[in-house]
Formats: sequence, structure tokens, C-alpha cells
Amino acid sequence: MTNRLPVQPGEIIDRGSQVEFTFDGRSHRGHPGDTIASALLANEVTVLSRSFKYHRPRGVMSATYLDPGATVQVGDEPNVRGAHRRLEPGMEVISQNRWPSLGFDLLAANDLLGRFLTAGFYYKTFIKPQRLWPWYDSVLSKFAAGGTVSPDTAHGHFDKRFVHPDVLVAGGGLAGMAAALSAAVEGASVMLVEEEYELGGMLCFDPARLNLLAEMRSAVVDHPGIEVLTNSVVTGRYDDNWVAIVQRGLPSIHERLIKARAKCLVVAPGLIERPYVFEGNDLPGVMLSTAVRRLINLWAVKPGSKAVVMSANESGDDAVADLERAGVDVRHVANARDGAGIVRAGGNKKRVAWVEVSGAGRIACDLVVTATGWTAPTSLMNMAGDRPIYDARAARFFPSQLPEDVMATGRITGDGTDAELAEHAAATGYEAARRAAGRGRSWQAARAWAAPVDPGDLPPPKEIRPLARQDHPELFRSSTHGIVDFGEDVTSKDILAGAREGYDSIELVKRFTTVTMGPNQGKLETVNAVAVLAEARSQTISEVGTTVWRPPYAPITLGALGGRPWEPVRYSPMQPWHSSHEAVGLVAGQWIRPDHYGDPAAEVKNVRTNVGVIDVTPLGKLDLRGPDVSHLLNMVYVNKWAKLDVGAVRYGVMCAEDGVILDDGVTGRLGPDHYLMTTTSSGAAGVWEWIENWLQTEHPEWRVHVTPVTTGYASMNVAGPRSRELLARLVHDIDLSPESFPYMTVRQGSIAGVDCFMWRIGFTGELSFEIHVPAGYGLHVWESLFTAGADLGIGAFGVEAQRIMRLEKGHFIVGQDTDGLMQGYSAGIDWMIKLDKEDFAGKPELGWQQQHESDRLVALQPLDPKIVPPEASQIIDDHRIAGRITSSRFSPTLNRSICLGVVAHHLASPGTVITIRLPDRTEAQATVMEHHAHFDHEGSRLRG
Amino acid sequence: MAELPIARSPIEQADPVEIESGWIVSRRSSDAALTITDVSAATKVLVKSERHLYPHGYGTAARQGDWLIVGSGPSEWTLLGPVGAVPAVVQPESMVLDMTHGRALMRLHGELAPRVLEKLCSIDLSEPMCPNLAAFRASVANVVTDIVRDDRAGLRSYLLSCERSSGQYLFDAIRDAGAEFGIDIQGRRPGGRF
Repeated sequence: MTNRLPVQPGEIIDRGSQVEFTFDGRSHRGHPGDTIASALLANEVTVLSRSFKYHRPRGVMSATYLDPGATVQVGDEPNVRGAHRRLEPGMEVISQNRWPSLGFDLLAANDLLGRFLTAGFYYKTFIKPQRLWPWYDSVLSKFAAGGTVSPDTAHGHFDKRFVHPDVLVAGGGLAGMAAALSAAVEGASVMLVEEEYELGGMLCFDPARLNLLAEMRSAVVDHPGIEVLTNSVVTGRYDDNWVAIVQRGLPSIHERLIKARAKCLVVAPGLIERPYVFEGNDLPGVMLSTAVRRLINLWAVKPGSKAVVMSANESGDDAVADLERAGVDVRHVANARDGAGIVRAGGNKKRVAWVEVSGAGRIACDLVVTATGWTAPTSLMNMAGDRPIYDARAARFFPSQLPEDVMATGRITGDGTDAELAEHAAATGYEAARRAAGRGRSWQAARAWAAPVDPGDLPPPKEIRPLARQDHPELFRSSTHGIVDFGEDVTSKDILAGAREGYDSIELVKRFTTVTMGPNQGKLETVNAVAVLAEARSQTISEVGTTVWRPPYAPITLGALGGRPWEPVRYSPMQPWHSSHEAVGLVAGQWIRPDHYGDPAAEVKNVRTNVGVIDVTPLGKLDLRGPDVSHLLNMVYVNKWAKLDVGAVRYGVMCAEDGVILDDGVTGRLGPDHYLMTTTSSGAAGVWEWIENWLQTEHPEWRVHVTPVTTGYASMNVAGPRSRELLARLVHDIDLSPESFPYMTVRQGSIAGVDCFMWRIGFTGELSFEIHVPAGYGLHVWESLFTAGADLGIGAFGVEAQRIMRLEKGHFIVGQDTDGLMQGYSAGIDWMIKLDKEDFAGKPELGWQQQHESDRLVALQPLDPKIVPPEASQIIDDHRIAGRITSSRFSPTLNRSICLGVVAHHLASPGTVITIRLPDRTEAQATVMEHHAHFDHEGSRLRG
Repeated sequence: MAELPIARSPIEQADPVEIESGWIVSRRSSDAALTITDVSAATKVLVKSERHLYPHGYGTAARQGDWLIVGSGPSEWTLLGPVGAVPAVVQPESMVLDMTHGRALMRLHGELAPRVLEKLCSIDLSEPMCPNLAAFRASVANVVTDIVRDDRAGLRSYLLSCERSSGQYLFDAIRDAGAEFGIDIQGRRPGGRF
């Protein structure tokens, strides 16, 4: 590490240990605290990457997150900001944008062809002929810049956090720290966000201000009211101060997205040093003054040996002092305040070798330093609606009008001594805390429980004396042309060409040339781009204006946007039994249900022969209580409910206002004013909402309490000819005989010692008992059934067997055999729809449908009993689509294929032979059956 | 079938387990500063009434002996009590429904509890907005959850209740979010409050 300096007073590297890493396969060493770029420079590696378009060699320029020359691939992670990312042991760093190697890049031929690859080349060249675009696309994609992502890359751990600080301070420099402290002293909860790894901003690399830095840091860190986030960045400010923060480098968490609702946002980002445009300004070894100061003071890296400095401000002067202290031969200082400046620079493939300075001629050097001005990163203020105003005397933009809940402090608002900046920031922090307190009180008063809030007196407002603005020469471009946007390889010539082609607005020039559209999104380039366009159009910078900065301020990974994949799943109380009996799971909404236990056909046969049990816990269940429940049922169901006896159960279908089938299920009357409604599993939430709508907005006078109790009960259906025999072994307080407990009734009693509701209903067409027990006892009852029924051939059956049996029985499933257009009569429930009721949901539409011909749901049996037309197969009539298959299975009971399908009205008559188009484009014929039920139409089995 | 019925929580019980009032409960002991405890066996009774049965309304909770009376909605209270207890609160014109088996209930306890919830829930849990005994309904890890802040021994503590079927998922989600803070499972203490 021959470029490593002796110990520097503010250095952040740990010289006590070393970190080994590789760059393009070659081993290097650095220290903890080094960035990839500082470590490479310390190892005399000056070229870190190749540029986006011309593949020009690039090195360190700003030594910050924004450094456009230090983008590298680290392992599987592309586009890593190498001037920001800290070195880690074993890091495999690979250069980007080159082939085959960084030193010998054949793609650098683009640089030779540069005069032909000006702005607009891409658009103009590849627009015609249009038919060749796929070929263009495949070739051009090979030239795409950036790193590579392996498809095998492991999924990182990302998450999110929601916070509600009183005051959120963006920027942890002197002003940010002072504002945070002041706000915290006033009692505000403060979150302080800093992009770098340490608080301090520019104090960190100024040896003369290290005491102030230490004092401020310890005051901030020690204050319990301040939460400090370093290596984090505020990426966006949205309505009502919803602020997005990306937090990096957490242990075992790759990146975290923090969603903050800040009562007051204080923007204190400081300033970004602006590059200078001249020929050769992107050569490795051309650096900003703050870059050399960072390299020397933070990482003890000597950035060169022979330097030429162009200085227009104190930062340049301080850089000269740092360079001399570091033993760099400062060969010339061009004082830009007196009009001196760099004309052009030249060099070799590794770094700058000479620079031409106005009035001083060509000077041999290996380091060129510029200090020509500042860019105000007004992004967050733009996002709050502010349009910054350019001040020619200070040669930078300033915020203008900020909303009440956004404030700004620090050098983005003006200049001054440390004391003046701290005073401004402290006053801003005080005022931010005061405003936050006001907002907080209004929010507390709006809480649902609205405990009285003592209004008290807010602290008095404090005057915030504006900071002065220091004069600074306007320095943007030399007399030569150079790179304006280092990320996109856009030159000042490109911008002038755009202006000549008529792109007279900065927004149009931006899109034509892609200037400010690179990875830095204009943070280094915007002001220079505006200045060059102003020059081309003979306008002022104020007249040209700026582009609008939109979120995100900094890149954010898709992983952080996604966060942890919180996807709720729901389990029945019997899930442990299903898991231990090799149930094959089915995802039904959020529910995990047993689809089958290995052989659905065998499960069907067992139910038809012996006895089976299915877990139907997901069935929606609503507890309805009150004297007006029958009114509610009459309104939401199409059939009549006024005369349902206690202990009776009725099947009902719900239609929406347009007559379209919404849901179905059975409802039983448990007591004079107590009912239990069941819904489809997927419709449970929707039906509850539907009912609440009727109760709360249409008929608030009805006295009905509705409570969803779906998961309060474990539900199981015991089905099969031996089901009664089985239950008789576990149920002793309910007379199970068909005379006392007939079909479509409900009883309350106990099973296996557990209180239950038991219904004589089923979906399978067999003698069935549906049992609901308190969910905590579900597994006990389930296991008791299997113990008691072992000699009866008891077996569990899953959703697939149930679907086969319900199809054999001809029961439709809402949402499968019906769709978003199917009205009641089309489903064949004519017998149920009672248009003579006074009113019910969907009545007018159903009344209309009754008078018109419409599609019908019918049972179908293919002529070839082996053919099972896939669901959704088209039904064809005279070469036109005349329906579709909605359900189809091979029936183990009937040993043939069976279907339900929707057909046009003229095809719905029993005996009609219809044509089904199969996916392989062959056709099959099927007969329309007389009844929906393919099996036991009379219902003798279920009524047994 | 002489075997007494055993009730089970929707959440898998960490060893060792015991039977308490007919429920299988964990007796695991943890000295972690941040713990999650399954208290689903606690009695949960929903009361709806147009009458002001309790002095506090929607959004706050209050202790009455062994019971925590939660204003869980407009004209609606959820009564949380010891395992197997029966509330003596029934009055005319009120609807009373035992929800014990229908809801999962867990307690997140420790000073860092808000930091865990911050990762799963967007609600402002600060002292002014969410003081002790505040009650509200929010999305936690995308599950509709009733939350009551019920501090214990001067430390932050939250009761979280969701539909039983999502209980294991919510429990696992909280453990996942709390991993970086060292969360551990604490079983029910014998005879202890929920």
C-alpha cells in the first residue's frame, strides 16, 4: 500500500488490522474503515471502471456515494458504489463495463467512434426499418452497461419499519446535528439520518474542526431523544410528510425501508461539490477538492504526487493545504477568483499526465483538483413542492417556499461560520419541535378514544435569522468541451447539439441527451447541464430553470421495496392431524386445506360405502342474533325465511343488486332470536361486509347483531351410510334417528364430551352430519371420530373427493360454476327465487331475467364416458361459442365422466347433444341431462 | 371415550407443556428481555350493547379484578379473563358471545416490544398516541389484529389478538420480526394472569 500516508488526525481506518480483498482477481489489502475505492487508491490502482458509453477509463472523482467512476460489482451484487461501500474481508470486487478486461477493453472502440455516437444517434439510427428492431435489440443489449446478476443469487433478507418521529432531520453534518439536538432538547423525538457511515459531514475531513466534530457527535449520540441512522438516506418525501428512508448495512439485513410519518422534516443535506467541464475532465486523477480532502484525512491516502489545483473557494484552498501536508508536490494553483482556470487535460490509459492552465501553459502532473462551486441537493424540497431559485452571485440554487411541515437549514440555505450555521440550525430545530408539538396535539385530539389533550401553550416561535450568501464566481465550463454527465457519458457538445436541434427546454434536452438521467440523477451534473444549455441559448440559468427532482433520491433495491413477504396463511385446528397423515395441501384463499390424502377416488368410494370425514372449518360462519334476523335473511336471500322453525335449516342463495349470484349456504335457527349462517369459504368476509352494509346503511332500525365466528368452530362433515352408526358411539344426548333428526335440521348436544351444533346437511349426497365444535376441541373430536370409527372403515376425505361427489350430486359451486355475470335463473334455482316476496336484493333484475331467455347451467354427460373435457372447454354450436364446461370429473361412483356446464338457452333442453371443443382442437359430444344430479336425484341416500 | 376433552391453542406449545383448566399450555421459562407468550387459552367474551355497560368506550381498556375490559368497537367490549372463567357482566339487552376458541391471543412483552411491532404494523406506538391501556385494531403482518397496550412491571407489553386460524402465522411473524432483538418464547406462568 504505497500510497498510504502516515497517521492522519481524523482518519477512520483501523491500522491495527488488515482486510484482504481482490480486484479483478488480483489480491490487495486494506484496513477496516477503507472504502473499496480508498483501498484501491492506496494500492496504486487508479482505474476502477469504464464509462457507460465510450468505455473511457475512470477513477475516483468525488470519493463519495455519488462517485461515478467507482461503480463496481461485488460478488453477485452489481453496481455497488465503490467509493462508499466499506471493505469487507474476502470481498471479490470486479470492474464493470469492460470486455475482456479493464486494462484492455475492446468496447473502448466506442470512444474512437465517439463523433458518430452523439446524442440522438440511438433514436435516429434504430428507428428504421422497424422489422429489424428485434435484431437491434438483441445486439444492443450486449452493450448494456452495469454488472450482472446471477439467477442463482440467494434471496437477501430485507424488511421494513414504520416510525413516527416528531422531527426527522435529513443530513448529519454540523447543521443537521445542531438542529437535531435543539429539537430534542425541546422534547421532540428526533430521527437523524446520515448517508455516510459517521455523523459530521464536511467536519469529518477538516483537521481544524475535529474538536467541534467530537463535541457535536457525542452530544447527539448521548441524547436519548435522538435516534441516529448512519449509512442511511432519505429517498423521498411524499404528501403529509410521509418520508421514505433506506437504511443499509444492518446486521443480517441487506437493506431496510423505513416509512416515517414525520411531524416536521428538517432538510440539512449540505452541498455537493460540482465538477468543472473541460476536455479531459474525466481522466483518472482529475478529482474534486473535497475528494482529495476525504482521501487524505479520512483514509490517509495520497491521491497523487504532482498536483495542479483550480480553486474558486475555501475548499480548494484547504485542499492545497492538505495536499502539501501530505507531501504532494502542488505545482500550480490556478486562482479561479482571479479568472485563472483549467483549459484542458490529457493523459494515458491510467491517469492524467498534464493539464493546460490559462496563463500558465501545459504543466506535467498526475493529479488535477478542481474547486469550482456547489450544487444544492434540493430534492426533498422539490418533492415538497418547492421550486428552487438560482442566485447568480452565489452561483447556486436556494430553496424558496417550503410548506409548514418542511424546513431547511445548513449550507443549502446560505453560508456562514460554524457558529452561524449552528445557530441557524438550532433555531430551525427549535421551530421544528414547536411545529411538531402543534401537529402532535391535533393528532392526539383526533384519536378514536379522544382523551382530552391539555392544549397548554406551545413554546413561542423563535426568529430564524437567514444565513448570508457568500459570493462565488460562476464556473461551469472551460473554453473546451468535456463530460457533463459522467454516468451517461454526455458531453457539453451533446447538450449544445440538442439545443441546435430545437430542444430548447432543459426537460427536453434531458430526455434527448439523457443528461442527469444516470445513476446519480443529476446530483453532480444538473447545474452544469443547465449552464451549458443557458450558454447555447444565450439565456441566464434562472431563465432556463432546472429539471424536477423526483423520488427516489438514492437507489433502492427491489428487495427493500418488497420487504418481508408477509402472506398470511390460515390453518384449521385439525392441521396437525392432516400433516401427520400425508395430506396433500391445497391453498384456498389464505387457507391451507387437505386436497386429498393420496387417492381421491378411493376416498369417494369409501364415503359411498362406509363413512368419511372432511375438515370443513373454512366454511364461513356468521352468528346472527336479534328479533329482526328473519327480515335480514329475507332481504339477502332470494328465498323465504319468515317461517323457519327453531331447529330447522334452509339452503339459500344470495344475489347482488344486479341479480348475479353472490354466495350460497345454509342457515339454521338455533333459538327464537338466534341463527347461524354458513357461507362459502371464500365468500365469508364478503358476505359479512354485505350484511353489515344492509344493517348499517339500509336498515339501521333492524335489531340484529352479526358476529363472524368462522374460526370459533372446528367444523367437520361426517358422511356415508355408516355415519349415523359412528356418531351413535360418541353422541349420547341427541336422538340421531331420521324421525327425530331429519334432513335439513340442526340440533345442539355434545360429541366426545364437547358441546356441539350438529346439522343434517351435506355436500356429498350421502347421509351426512355436519358438526361444529369449539375450535380448541377440534382435534380432540376429530381424533375421537377416527378412534370410534376404526371398525367402520372410517377414512378422511379431502376437497378433491368432495368436489367429485358434489358434482355427482349436481351441486354447483359459486365462483366456479357461476361467474360474475350469472344471474339466479341461469343457475337453475328457479324454484328458490320468490318474486312474490315484498323485497330482496336483486329482485328487479331477477324479475327481468325471468321474462327473458338466458344461458342455463346444465348437467352434461359425454357420449364417450372416458372423455373428461377440461374445465373451461368451449361448447360450440354452429361454429360459435355457445357455452363452456364449468366443472368436470371422472366419477368413480358412475365409472364415467360427468360435467356441469353453461349452455345457451336453446341448447338447455334435456336430451340435447352438444359439441365440446377440447384443448387439442378435437371435439366431443355430450348429452344434456334432465337434472343437475348425476347420482341419486331423488335424494334417498342423503335423507336416509 | 372416557378421555376428558383437551383444548388446544392454535399456536404450537413450546416444551414443557402442562394441562391448565383443560387446555394444553406451555410452561417454558425464559429470562430474555423480550418475550412472546401464547395466552390463547384466556377467556374472551364479546359483549355488544347499546347501553353503556362500562365507563370506557372504544379505544381504551380497563382492569376489573382479573378481567381486562377492552373497548373493542363502538358499543362493543371484549372481556379478557383467566382460563375457564365466566364473566359476571351479562345484562339485559346485551349480546354476549364466548369467543375464547375463535381468537388467538398472545402477549409481546419487553421494552423493545414497540420496535418489533414497528416492523409489522404502521401505527404510531409512541406514548402520547398510544398510552398504556390504549386499544385499537390494525394490520399486523397483514393480519387484522386487535391490540391492547397492557404494560407489566413498568415495561411495554402488548396483547395481540387475531382470528384463531391466523394465530400460528402471526406468532411466527412476531418471532421473525423480533429475532434481531433476541425475542424468546415465554410459557404461561402457573396461575398467572394472561
